[in-house]
Amino acid sequence: MQYEVRHNFREALKTLEQQALGGLDIVIRQLDRALEAISYQDVELASMVVADDDQVDGRYLEVHQGVLSLLATQTPVATDLRLVAALLHIIRCIERIGDQCVNMAKLVPLSGHEQPKDKDILDAIERMGRLAHSQLAQSKETFAGRNVDLANDLVRQDAEINQLNRAIFRRAVDIGDEVEMREWAMLMVLVARALERIGDNTVDIAEQVVFVVTGLFRELADASHPVPERTDPAPA
Amino acid sequence: MIPNSQETMTSIRPNTPSTATEQAPQRMASGHSVEVDALQAYYGNHQAVKNFSIAFAANEVTAIIGPSGSGKSTVVRCINRMHEEISGARAEGTVMLDKVNVYDPRVDVTAVRRVIGMVFQKPNPFPTMSIFDNVAAGLKLTGWRGDDLRGRVDQSLRGVGLWDEVEDRLNTPGTALSGGQQQRLCIARAIAVEPEVILMDEPCSALDPVATLRIEELIDELKARYTIVIVTHNMQQAARVADTTAFMLDGELIEHGPTTKMFTKPEDERTERYVTGKFG
Repeated sequence: MQYEVRHNFREALKTLEQQALGGLDIVIRQLDRALEAISYQDVELASMVVADDDQVDGRYLEVHQGVLSLLATQTPVATDLRLVAALLHIIRCIERIGDQCVNMAKLVPLSGHEQPKDKDILDAIERMGRLAHSQLAQSKETFAGRNVDLANDLVRQDAEINQLNRAIFRRAVDIGDEVEMREWAMLMVLVARALERIGDNTVDIAEQVVFVVTGLFRELADASHPVPERTDPAPA
Repeated sequence: MIPNSQETMTSIRPNTPSTATEQAPQRMASGHSVEVDALQAYYGNHQAVKNFSIAFAANEVTAIIGPSGSGKSTVVRCINRMHEEISGARAEGTVMLDKVNVYDPRVDVTAVRRVIGMVFQKPNPFPTMSIFDNVAAGLKLTGWRGDDLRGRVDQSLRGVGLWDEVEDRLNTPGTALSGGQQQRLCIARAIAVEPEVILMDEPCSALDPVATLRIEELIDELKARYTIVIVTHNMQQAARVADTTAFMLDGELIEHGPTTKMFTKPEDERTERYVTGKFG
């Protein structure tokens, strides 16, 4: 009686997971282009990021429909049910990550061509961007491999993004009296906030990996009980 | 105390409050637990059930799932001692209805089957009997001596939600009803004798989806008064109706737990593989 059945269902579930994880590839590309547009004040590239958000939204709708279809026609249970529920959750995270890339891109035209810049903030933004990219790539690897250790490591990485976000905020507060510099710093605070939210979404994906593997939902990073803020100096 | 045969009829219902029964229009929360311990069941030399132990909680629905030939139906047929009616079949172990072992040699088998009722896969109303007589037959066959047969039949038909559909044709044959109605008629026949436990062996497998859902709703209503064990091949049905689910494989109990857990995070790899369809 050890023959396997439900081949079609299993193939459909596999395809759905690939579609969802493929969404992470799309938002990684969106993130890279948004960061490049910010670095080089590239308004045209920023507009492409905004336009290409349709791809992310389209992927969301495909996976959402696929999940509904599997629930309606295949009534998955046990590991399969947890996976389907997780796919619905992570595709929502991916869609929100796409929105954060759009939020960053929309700030590019507002910052102008010759804005004064603060090297400390720029360095911190660049570091946050690298971390966000790394976390997105790792969240895909984590999910595909059902790797709980990598999931926990994502929380560690996310802590650094959070620290940088707070540091940028403090630096922006102390940036000085020059109006143009303050405006630019406020825009960078918004960019940092978007990157911080992207990091949070990768942690959400990591939590779904733990759920799929263990059947238990565990908040890896508890936003309602944050670790007390360190009094690190602003980035040098 | 082990009952003698004369005491059996009352002893096998140890805790039923008779005065409360008379006062209340419907008995509430009077089901009793059933504990099966080290059950072994055989068909000749073939062992169909191996060292099966489980506790069916009072006023809960327990579903038994598993592939064909896993011993599900044999287990329920052992609970009310119908298994031994098959030529060459025998069972060992204990089945405790509260404090009474139904396999005690001094226990009256008829009393066991009255207290532990059975509903079968295919609706089986007596073909020559009217709707009324089908329900009354359950009472008569078990030696009921009450004086309000009509009231008891009416109450049973109302209990399965059939009264409104048949009240004006109680004298027509039971076989004239639809399949779903016939199955509810059989359940009415089973509950007319006021059992403590109802065993259901694939009760919906011959019914259409609407009739199936009606029976499932009925099961949910009946569990307030009875302890229910249902054998089903339909895992979604188990998920819908059962408080706990037991998985059997090759005559053994593999896992028994809350239904939600069994269908979201079963403990045993074999359960996981079965419910996800990785083998059948």
